[in-house]
Amino acid sequence: MAIFIVVFIVIQSVFFIVKSWKHGKEIGISKESMKNTIFSSALFTFAPAISILVTVIVLANSLGIVLPWIRLTVIGNLAYETVAAENALSALGGTINSEVTDPVSFTTVAWAMNIGAIFPLLLLPFAVKKLQKTIGGAISKSEKSSKIGDIISAAAFIGIISAFLSRSIAGLSSDGRTDAGVLSVTVLIVSVVAMIILTKICIKFKLSKIEPFTMPLSMFIGMGSAMILTHFLPDIAAIVWR
Amino acid sequence: MNSEYFKKVHKWGAIWNYASLIAMCAIPVVMSIVLKAWPDLNALAKTLAVLIPLYWVTAFVEIATYVPMLGAGGTYLSFITGNISNLKLPCGLNAMEGAKVKPNTEEGEVISTISIAVSAITTTVVIAAGVLLFAPVLPKITAEGSVFKSAFENVLPALFGALGAGYFIKHWKIAIAPMIGGCIILIFAPKMQVGILMFITIVISIISAMIIHRDLWYDDFKKMKSKS
Repeated sequence: MAIFIVVFIVIQSVFFIVKSWKHGKEIGISKESMKNTIFSSALFTFAPAISILVTVIVLANSLGIVLPWIRLTVIGNLAYETVAAENALSALGGTINSEVTDPVSFTTVAWAMNIGAIFPLLLLPFAVKKLQKTIGGAISKSEKSSKIGDIISAAAFIGIISAFLSRSIAGLSSDGRTDAGVLSVTVLIVSVVAMIILTKICIKFKLSKIEPFTMPLSMFIGMGSAMILTHFLPDIAAIVWR
Repeated sequence: MNSEYFKKVHKWGAIWNYASLIAMCAIPVVMSIVLKAWPDLNALAKTLAVLIPLYWVTAFVEIATYVPMLGAGGTYLSFITGNISNLKLPCGLNAMEGAKVKPNTEEGEVISTISIAVSAITTTVVIAAGVLLFAPVLPKITAEGSVFKSAFENVLPALFGALGAGYFIKHWKIAIAPMIGGCIILIFAPKMQVGILMFITIVISIISAMIIHRDLWYDDFKKMKSKS
């Protein structure tokens, strides 16, 4: 069943790549640009994908491998699946740390995880077209007449990033493992600085081919700083302020 | 915008969306048939009473937030394959930034869709390979005492720090208000879901940008007035 879902997702993604690539060529996007998008996106995805994989393995302790694998391949996300499974198991009087052996308990968790997650798919076909016409249309219309569209796009982007950066500075995670503290702020600062330095190097030495990889590389440097800090200054790295 | 292309994207997106919905609903049904065990309705109702208000409401806000940023193809694929805020959204935005194209343009639509599709394939392959080949070793990566533990617990600050760096330097004035606003909200509601928090910081950021660049708005308003 899991293999079927994997194949389904891959075919669907390949379908969209082929259609987009074809249209990209028609509207004059260079092959180079689309190729760079493919390579940098694959590299970008690698570290977060490992985190998702680790969640699959953690959930597999209680639910076996198939259900978490499927759920985190279709619609699922790190935070939702754990919360959904935890809630279902606690309603059944169990916990996520013990193996589910009763088939009724297992199917209850499977139904809960799936029903809880399907709502966006019910909503999307009605919402996407309308939203793109109204919000997207309004932005692109004003783009034509002035710089306002650019600024709104940048502001929306900054708004998204701000939510995550604020969480790294002042947030609490649901499982208490990644609360804001010295480590999260250090990683944040190191990755920002690494990105700035790498971008400057690329511009100065005209390394345009490496430019798409500066972002994933900075991300890895940021993650590496967490390892170094934890290894050499474990007491300081453990400080959280919430 | 070529409306013909967008119409096609909506059609493809809706078809794959419904196919995924059927696949999703089939999973628990098949499991119940194979195991000859149907769910405990009491426990299921209790769980859904917690999950539905929490996630179905968030879904409205998330869809409204992601569509203008990721375009139609990107949004459909993101919602079908999941892990949006922690992966697909930053990946799509990074690709558009790298290709120097903007959301809500045909170029943005193409690049965002390619990027999210590649991200979905990569994630699917990494999970499949990990599950099939490395399942026994993987828990050790995040186990207590592992050198990689702190790195993988801090993927998000690393990812968004690197992604935001360029924008924050270029538009630092706009960034001040949503950053302070986000931190203040988290002081009072430290576990607020990121989908809701993101919606609030986007609103703060756009209002902040409108105030900072009020001269542009005024010019635009004057142009519109003189045309009419």
